[in-house]
Amino acid sequence: MSAVIEIEGLVKKFGSTRALDGLDLIVEPGQIHGFIGPNGSGKSTTIRILLGLIKASGGTARLFGEDPWGRAVELHRRLAYVPGDVNLWPNLTGGETIDMLGSLRGGLDPKRRKELVDRFELDLTKKAQAYSKGNRQKVALIAALATDAELFIFDEPTSGLDPLKEAVFQECVKEITGKGHTILLSSHILGQLEHLADTFTIIRNGRTAETGTLEHLREIAVSAGRDPDSLSLEDLFLAIYSD
Amino acid sequence: MSGFAGTREAFLFALKRDRLILPVCLVGLIGWMAMYVVSYAGLYGTQAELNALYESVAGNPAMVAMSGPTGGLRSLGGAIAWDSMPALTIISGVFAMFSVIRHSRAEEEDGRTDLLLASGSGRLAPLTAALLITALALTLAAVGYFAVLAIGGYAIGPSILFSLAVLSFGLVIAGTTAVFAQVTGKARAARGLVGVVIGVSWLLRAVGDTGGGTLTWFSPLGWAQQMKPFWENLWWPLLLPTAATAFTVSLAFWLLARRDIGSGLIQPRPGPPNASNSILHPLGFSFRLQRSTMLGWTAMLFVYGFAIGVVGENIEDILKSSSAFTEAFASASSDLLDSYFASILTVIAILGAGFTISSVLRPHSEESRDRAALLLAAPLGKVRWVAGHVLIAYVASAFMIALTGLALGVGLGVATGDFSQTGTLFAAGFAQVPAMWLTGSLALFLFGVSSRLSSVAWGLLAAFILIWTLASFGNLPGWLIDLSPFSHVPAVPAVSLDMAPLLVMTALALAFTVAGLALWRRRDLV
Repeated sequence: MSAVIEIEGLVKKFGSTRALDGLDLIVEPGQIHGFIGPNGSGKSTTIRILLGLIKASGGTARLFGEDPWGRAVELHRRLAYVPGDVNLWPNLTGGETIDMLGSLRGGLDPKRRKELVDRFELDLTKKAQAYSKGNRQKVALIAALATDAELFIFDEPTSGLDPLKEAVFQECVKEITGKGHTILLSSHILGQLEHLADTFTIIRNGRTAETGTLEHLREIAVSAGRDPDSLSLEDLFLAIYSD
Repeated sequence: MSGFAGTREAFLFALKRDRLILPVCLVGLIGWMAMYVVSYAGLYGTQAELNALYESVAGNPAMVAMSGPTGGLRSLGGAIAWDSMPALTIISGVFAMFSVIRHSRAEEEDGRTDLLLASGSGRLAPLTAALLITALALTLAAVGYFAVLAIGGYAIGPSILFSLAVLSFGLVIAGTTAVFAQVTGKARAARGLVGVVIGVSWLLRAVGDTGGGTLTWFSPLGWAQQMKPFWENLWWPLLLPTAATAFTVSLAFWLLARRDIGSGLIQPRPGPPNASNSILHPLGFSFRLQRSTMLGWTAMLFVYGFAIGVVGENIEDILKSSSAFTEAFASASSDLLDSYFASILTVIAILGAGFTISSVLRPHSEESRDRAALLLAAPLGKVRWVAGHVLIAYVASAFMIALTGLALGVGLGVATGDFSQTGTLFAAGFAQVPAMWLTGSLALFLFGVSSRLSSVAWGLLAAFILIWTLASFGNLPGWLIDLSPFSHVPAVPAVSLDMAPLLVMTALALAFTVAGLALWRRRDLV
């Protein structure tokens, strides 16, 4: 079975700055792939290229084997997306927003919607202008999780969520991968990612620094002479950035 | 007092933010006043022409309702004051409203006030700075009006009184805005409420002036006009706006000192937990986003058209009283009223093109507020999404201007009892549509080129307004006049309908629309 996401030597220039400078990223079907890197390293740029919102300047990006820029509408039927900074329409309630976003994908299953609303404890009758950051994230999360997408793209989806809802999100992620869906999850919460993801890509200055399973990343670190006892994902991440 | 700590810094910062927009507004306001002074001297050069104007206007209830008491029209200064004050006061009020909100509630809504207050600023500092910069701008504008009148050779005392009258209304609105900025948590809602206050003061003055006069004294606009510069020259009514400003500003500070930062006194009401079917498809959702703006514009243009229609019957006499005006409106047809209506319809169409632009550029504001990605990551095509907004913009623009034509006709019918013109004026409204579409399509084209270029569309509209105004007053070179689409609208109902320019403009609008969409399709989302 071919990869869901296949990126090779991806370059994106904004004027004279190179936001992406030869990035590689492969995500296989059914994987939860952790996408890690500091602010400004190019994670969101990569995701926006995958969503066909911006056009690559060089290299190739393939989504389900197709061109994300040229085939955006068709490909979007198969994915759901949650940005890290959700901005909503101030006069619409959370419930209206979830329904409207769901309608773009042909409607949500009302049972699944209700179940998610209960688990995330979202007040659907509040206008978006009255929501806190965390509650705005919940709106986008519920709208995405209530769909039956093959691929979920999460760009720091839990920023602003409290630890209880963070745990709810983790449960939801486990449930959907249990059903064979694929997830690309960009996050700064490395402890969370270490438990959730099967494979990782660490990005540095618009380029892939390391990629593979946790064991693979550990082997590389050990062969570079690191102490094998204290090698959490966080240690590995910090090690790559201290070089 | 510690509440005011940091006011100086906040004021200087506001000044820095407004370093471009403020001079532009001042030049606009003072330039407008100068235009009145220059054009009136040209149009009513002789006392005989002035007397004829007075004869046709004096005591005419419709004219009194539109522009206030007419007693001052025997002198040129009085005529200028009478004609310019309604527009100048209302525009100053709108400016004061935007300026106060921009530096107080809008900042707070975006969360920037928190930063300021957390870094040692007093909680009263932002509002104080907002009021100071607004008062400064209004005062500079008033000095400008005075200078224009003084240079024009008008008496010093009445010129000062006139400038103070306009200033006083601006300050009352600044104070009122400051109060509403505490009451509601939303900049948009606060602006809407102040808009209602301005509208109601116009209505109270209009009804009061035509009736017993009592209601006029409940209207800040009435106070300004009751000073009657260049005529009775009353200074004591200045006490009323001064007291109102002091009261509203104190009330605003009192409320500010007692409320939570980041919210208003009124909390937003809850809404439905489920979406109605009307927003469950992309076009319906776009329509919902544009609905309130559309309703506001439609109501405004309709009322304006109706009011103009009601006054219309008497306009003919006024126009005939000035030989220069008769020349200005003398076209192929001899019917002055029809020419007048044609030009009024074009003026309304240029204003209405403001709606067309804002409506076409709705995707731009969605894009710059980071909401577009949420929609476009769904299976919704880029072109389909923007084309939906553009469709709404074009249909609504056509609907609005046709309705304004209808309102003109109905207003005229109500005043004269003769509704035979209603159909003609309704049809005449449609002649304006291609020029509005062309303006909108230029905005779309700019949006297609890049997100940052989008706001240049407003500059285009300003240029069209300027060309229109200057073309009717002075001698602009023909090629410059031709640059504005609104110069090519046939003056129906005064002349027979010439379809050629309308078809050309529609074709151009279509071309720019297609090009704009094609460019948008190819560019990155910001």
